[in-house]
Amino acid sequence: MTSIANETQSAKKERAPITVKAVLTNKWFLYAVSLTFFFGLWDYVAYKKILGSSLARPLEVVNYMGYMINHRLAGNSLWGHAWASTRRILIGFSIASLIAVPLGLMMALNKYVNAIVKPIFDLMKPMPPIAWISISILWFGIGEPSKVFIIIIGTFVPCLLNAYNGVRLVEPELYDVVRVLGGNRRDEIFQVCFPAAFPAIFAGLQISLSVAWTCVLAAELVSARSGLGYVIIKGMNLGRPAMVLGGMVAIALAALMTSQLVGLLEKVLCPWKREIEGL
Amino acid sequence: MEDGNKTMAENGNTHAKISCKNVSKTFIQKGTQQVHVLDGISLDVAENEFVVILGPGQCGKSTLLRIMAGLETASTGSVIINDKEVDGPGQDRGLVFQSYMLFAWKTVMGNVEMGPKLRGVGKEERRKVAQHYIDMVGLQGFENKYPHQLSGGMKQRAGIARAYANQPQVMLLDEPFGQLDAQTRIYMEQETVRIWEQEKRTVIFVTNNIDEALFLGDRIICMEGKLPGRIREVYDVNLPRPRKFTDLDFLKLRHEITEASELTL
Amino acid sequence: MSFAEVKITKEPLMVILPILSIVAFFGIWQSLLSFGVVPSSLLASPLQVLKLFIAKWTQVNPDGALLTTHMWTSIQEAFTGYILALLVGIPLGLAMGWFPIVEGLARPIFELIRPIPPIAWIPLTIFWFGIGIPGKVFIIWIAGIVPCVINSYVGVKMTNPVLIQMARTYGASNWQIFIKICIPSALPMVFGALQIALAYCWTNLVGAELLAADNGLGFMITMGRRLAMPDMVLLGMAMVGLTGAVIGVIIDAVEKRLLAGIRR
Repeated sequence: MTSIANETQSAKKERAPITVKAVLTNKWFLYAVSLTFFFGLWDYVAYKKILGSSLARPLEVVNYMGYMINHRLAGNSLWGHAWASTRRILIGFSIASLIAVPLGLMMALNKYVNAIVKPIFDLMKPMPPIAWISISILWFGIGEPSKVFIIIIGTFVPCLLNAYNGVRLVEPELYDVVRVLGGNRRDEIFQVCFPAAFPAIFAGLQISLSVAWTCVLAAELVSARSGLGYVIIKGMNLGRPAMVLGGMVAIALAALMTSQLVGLLEKVLCPWKREIEGL
Repeated sequence: MEDGNKTMAENGNTHAKISCKNVSKTFIQKGTQQVHVLDGISLDVAENEFVVILGPGQCGKSTLLRIMAGLETASTGSVIINDKEVDGPGQDRGLVFQSYMLFAWKTVMGNVEMGPKLRGVGKEERRKVAQHYIDMVGLQGFENKYPHQLSGGMKQRAGIARAYANQPQVMLLDEPFGQLDAQTRIYMEQETVRIWEQEKRTVIFVTNNIDEALFLGDRIICMEGKLPGRIREVYDVNLPRPRKFTDLDFLKLRHEITEASELTL
Repeated sequence: MSFAEVKITKEPLMVILPILSIVAFFGIWQSLLSFGVVPSSLLASPLQVLKLFIAKWTQVNPDGALLTTHMWTSIQEAFTGYILALLVGIPLGLAMGWFPIVEGLARPIFELIRPIPPIAWIPLTIFWFGIGIPGKVFIIWIAGIVPCVINSYVGVKMTNPVLIQMARTYGASNWQIFIKICIPSALPMVFGALQIALAYCWTNLVGAELLAADNGLGFMITMGRRLAMPDMVLLGMAMVGLTGAVIGVIIDAVEKRLLAGIRR
């Protein structure tokens, strides 16, 4: 039924003449209008100094990014700062997931572990990771360890939660399959539990990653000599909007790239997972 | 382990007799509320017999099957298979699920070879066994597909192959075609008969579809339409195979069974 | 298929273990400081935090405001930003889900802004708004609007197409379908956004206050560090966690009550 409906619709679309309405509802046309308007407005506001001198024109931002790539700021080019932030995330993220994922799995599989760990976890969970920055600086000073610590704290919660829920939401009849085929408890865990929880664990990694970017920026804004957070706070202190905006663009690109990377990794490691439509 | 070293032809001990003796089952819900699901089921199944348990939804037939599979324990009574009392799942029984229950993260081959793999059969040997049953259910060419790439009928073929590949003596099928469309269902029923005639097993087949029951069964166990589950009537189906849905004797028996139950099955 | 045997009989061990775990947690924490394993410049004991908590009800010093003032400021900022995010984000997301023209115009800009963590806006907001409340409200608004838009959008997109076709055959207009079918069926997703957005807002509030503030719980945490008072840092953290949890419970209750009506 639906396939027939679609066919007639697409056939109609092919024959449709180029009318004003057709152009106005074309996706790509609207995208172009939207982006032109956005950058046009931005440029206009910056050019006319409607917000004072606190906004740079888009081209200035691009130029300044080029400048930062070629000139070092506090010993690092823009690449260097981007890598400094990314490296902190990778380290913190790896440590957190190495502890949190197994712990989450164990909590889901063993009710005694769950009974011991869950109350403490619930106690810590509502505390936003950024609130740990001050105590982390007290403990570790303003060097790398304090930033890595914040990222660990921030990514720990989603990693653990998703591993835990991933196992809990496994279809119970799948365990029956293994039992009927002659598997024991160990087989149930390794053949069903872990692989079935895998997509949920990856979803947790994606959430962790966005939390990690927030954490690393917050830590770098408070105290750092490198990283993209340092770039934007330095730009603020120097009163250079182009530097701040350039840093923000770099942050957006870096965050996007890391999340694409995790997505790619997931596709390679979970070939069975169906694509889920969404924004 | 030992089974794995035998070839399929040598694996001759695939016959079993089943007898349920006065099996009852009571679930406890919400702490204290008791639900009687099965009440005094006694049933004998001969070697290589194809028995269909027929009844509407919620009549305890699936629970009976799960007790035979060893996934549930009977509250009273016992199930004896080959003079041995059932006290848990075992390799001698294979179960096919209504909702397929394939491992989404494994290919068809990975799913079918799971049973031998869990028993520690070597890779080459279990591949050979799995391939044999994949061919038998007609899934050749789909060995490396993941379940989500298969249609419902193909998924259940894989489910049947998976159960067979573990070389059970008894096949337990729990409304295996309940989620298929009518066309595919009839086709799968014909396939079931073909597979059963090719590799005879003692089969217990649970369904709520009277045509399916008549088409497949040597014997039909008709359940009461409500809880607690009891056997209402047992019918012997002495129709020659291959059967036809429009055969006069077929329709006569269908009429008889339908008349006897208050529900139009 | 409900084969599960529901057993309510609770093992006593399962009741004792969580209590034991919490007691051990605070016990170890307290004894770390009582026995001087950890220097008091790095960590304050739970009792010290509790003492400061009581003192801060009446004592303005050394951070310049009462605990209640800090809390009130934070809640005010968070709620203003949160409500504004809901007011803009939910209608925008719903409209993006149904009207192609809105989606075409709004989506590119949304996708440009989305990957930027809200915290990264802090320097710009300081340029634009100074360190007062508006700057923080802006950051919280940015933080809250993303999940609101996404959930509302997905909610509308997930509307059962059969329902829409049915409405079309009854002669409903595009607008009527949007109001009568798409919005109600998107509601559970929209309510889901309430919780997510709140968590985002609360996290980013602390971030905003760490840098640009003269008041609020995040500011209190920063002051605790500057004054080298671990007890104040910990009190600030505890209050942030506690307030966040309480607000979360309230939103959850509201959500359940509203959704109960829909599901029936």
